[in-house]
Amino acid sequence: MQRKKTDTPILNQDNSKQSSLFLPNFCSLKMVFSVVIIGELLAFILTLAPMRLEHQRWNDLALISLFIQWNGMVGSASLCLLRPVLTRYSNQFAAVVSYLVLLLSITLISEITFFVLQYYSVEEMIASVTHWEFLIHNLLIGGIISALALRYFYIQDQWRVKMEAESCTRLQLLQARIRPHFLFNSMNTIASLTRTRPETAERITEDLAELFRMLFKSDHEMIPWSRELDLCQRYIEIEKQRLGERLHISWQVKSVPGDAMVPALLLQPLLENAIFHGIEPEINGGEVKVIGQFRNRQLVLTVQNSNSQNLVHRQGNKMALDNIRERLITHYDGQARLACHEEDDIYYVKLTIPYIKHDKKDVT
Amino acid sequence: MKVLIVDDEPLARERLKMLCQEIDKNFELLEAQNGLQAVETVNQSEPDVVLMDIRMPAMGGLEAAQHLMTIDNPPAIIFTTAYDEYALQAFEAQAVDYLLKPIRKDKLQQAMEKGARLNKLQLEYIGQQNQEVPLRTHISAQVAGSLLLIPIADILCFLADQKYITVKYLKDGQVVETIIEDTLKSLEEEFADDFIRIHRNALIRKNRIEGLHKQPDGRTLLKLLQLDEGLKVSRRHLSAIRKLIKGKL
Repeated sequence: MQRKKTDTPILNQDNSKQSSLFLPNFCSLKMVFSVVIIGELLAFILTLAPMRLEHQRWNDLALISLFIQWNGMVGSASLCLLRPVLTRYSNQFAAVVSYLVLLLSITLISEITFFVLQYYSVEEMIASVTHWEFLIHNLLIGGIISALALRYFYIQDQWRVKMEAESCTRLQLLQARIRPHFLFNSMNTIASLTRTRPETAERITEDLAELFRMLFKSDHEMIPWSRELDLCQRYIEIEKQRLGERLHISWQVKSVPGDAMVPALLLQPLLENAIFHGIEPEINGGEVKVIGQFRNRQLVLTVQNSNSQNLVHRQGNKMALDNIRERLITHYDGQARLACHEEDDIYYVKLTIPYIKHDKKDVT
Repeated sequence: MKVLIVDDEPLARERLKMLCQEIDKNFELLEAQNGLQAVETVNQSEPDVVLMDIRMPAMGGLEAAQHLMTIDNPPAIIFTTAYDEYALQAFEAQAVDYLLKPIRKDKLQQAMEKGARLNKLQLEYIGQQNQEVPLRTHISAQVAGSLLLIPIADILCFLADQKYITVKYLKDGQVVETIIEDTLKSLEEEFADDFIRIHRNALIRKNRIEGLHKQPDGRTLLKLLQLDEGLKVSRRHLSAIRKLIKGKL
């Protein structure tokens, strides 16, 4: 009983580490089958490669196949046995060790083969080569194939890791764009308004629907500034219901041309941050200021809020800003900037993006 | 039954009031907009149940609950929240009562009927698990049966006695003192950014130091701004304090 207890965590640990080793599991039947097939294909290539026509070809194929399959099986078996050891080390180390093990197994099998052939006096099979030539020949071919295989496994593993990471970050990206907090708080607001002020509840529901409709569109959607402004104002409407007198907002954005194209919901997360950090932690609330300027064919959007001393939730802030930066890179390829700084207890976030006129949308 | 509703959002309070009234028309409903007001209201009206939001200005729900736990006969506390990943996990783990907004009437009724009492261990665990809970903003003390909250920012020093700790703090420009139950060690750990130990029995606010005074008998006394008496400095802590004073100049 006691033994079982101590064993379990160790097993778990091994499982989690095994998934980080780049080599596939050579102990599995599927993998053994693949090795057999690949070995056989290699045997065909080697038989066909010499551009000579001889009737011995089928014999050659049989011997070469036998030799390669032995190598494949011994190699797979060694990697299978070594797996628990290799998982404890880094991928680089595991790769080097596996490569050396494969070369060693090729050497051993070559030696055995050579002596067996000699013993049964089937020398004519290898009559044309000396012992050393035979060994070096095999090692060269085996070395190249092993290297290719390891490289292939490594790239496949990298691809798997990337896929896993991507599926994991997609949710985080969505959360960086709109906080789940906001959704549930809005629902609560609507639930409360439904009885006392049904018309307001109706309007807030519509606003919320519009925001989420846009949110579920692709990351790459571009919309005119006039539309973005409208969405952001709807967002503020919802928050105003919730925070009441505490939220003051001022828009100074008249100079921004309405036909300028911007990535959809680029500004909204900045407003959400400003409210989360600047308004919500304060009893008397505060003001969020949005200033839009248009100069040198660039849009400069500044969001500022009184910065509360409350240092928690910085993590969420960073996530949202990182997400916006990423979107700026994909949309503008380095021609847009996001900068933030703090001055006299005011927190500023400044977005600078190039002006792209509306009708260009059809071209891109 | 007296129910105290604590939430900074007017609409959230409104909805909870409606739900409570539907559950029982005879409920006496009280409201507070943040943790500070909640503690005050508990002092005055001694509610049976507190419905406590977590994220609020001035003082959050978790800290308020922490203070309320120290009174002799604390109310049952039910947390309400829209979405606090970390807090929720901690609540689940500790079987603490919580309600998710928008709150359902039947869930609210169940929770009220259960009237489960929080305990200190549960709260401590939640605090440890919850990355978003900041340091305490206040220290609480029981004075004449009610809970007194002292803002950390007003505290000059903590002085340990045989059994208790005396807190000296500023109230309307005057130095007043009160007794709390805590240990200097835990206070020192919690507020290490603002306070420094100068003696086995004294923890003082760093930015209140006026200077060090050598006494004729070789002892060193530390003067705090606005505090008349000098405080003993032990040899062990002297160099750290000198360094701190130098660093400020």
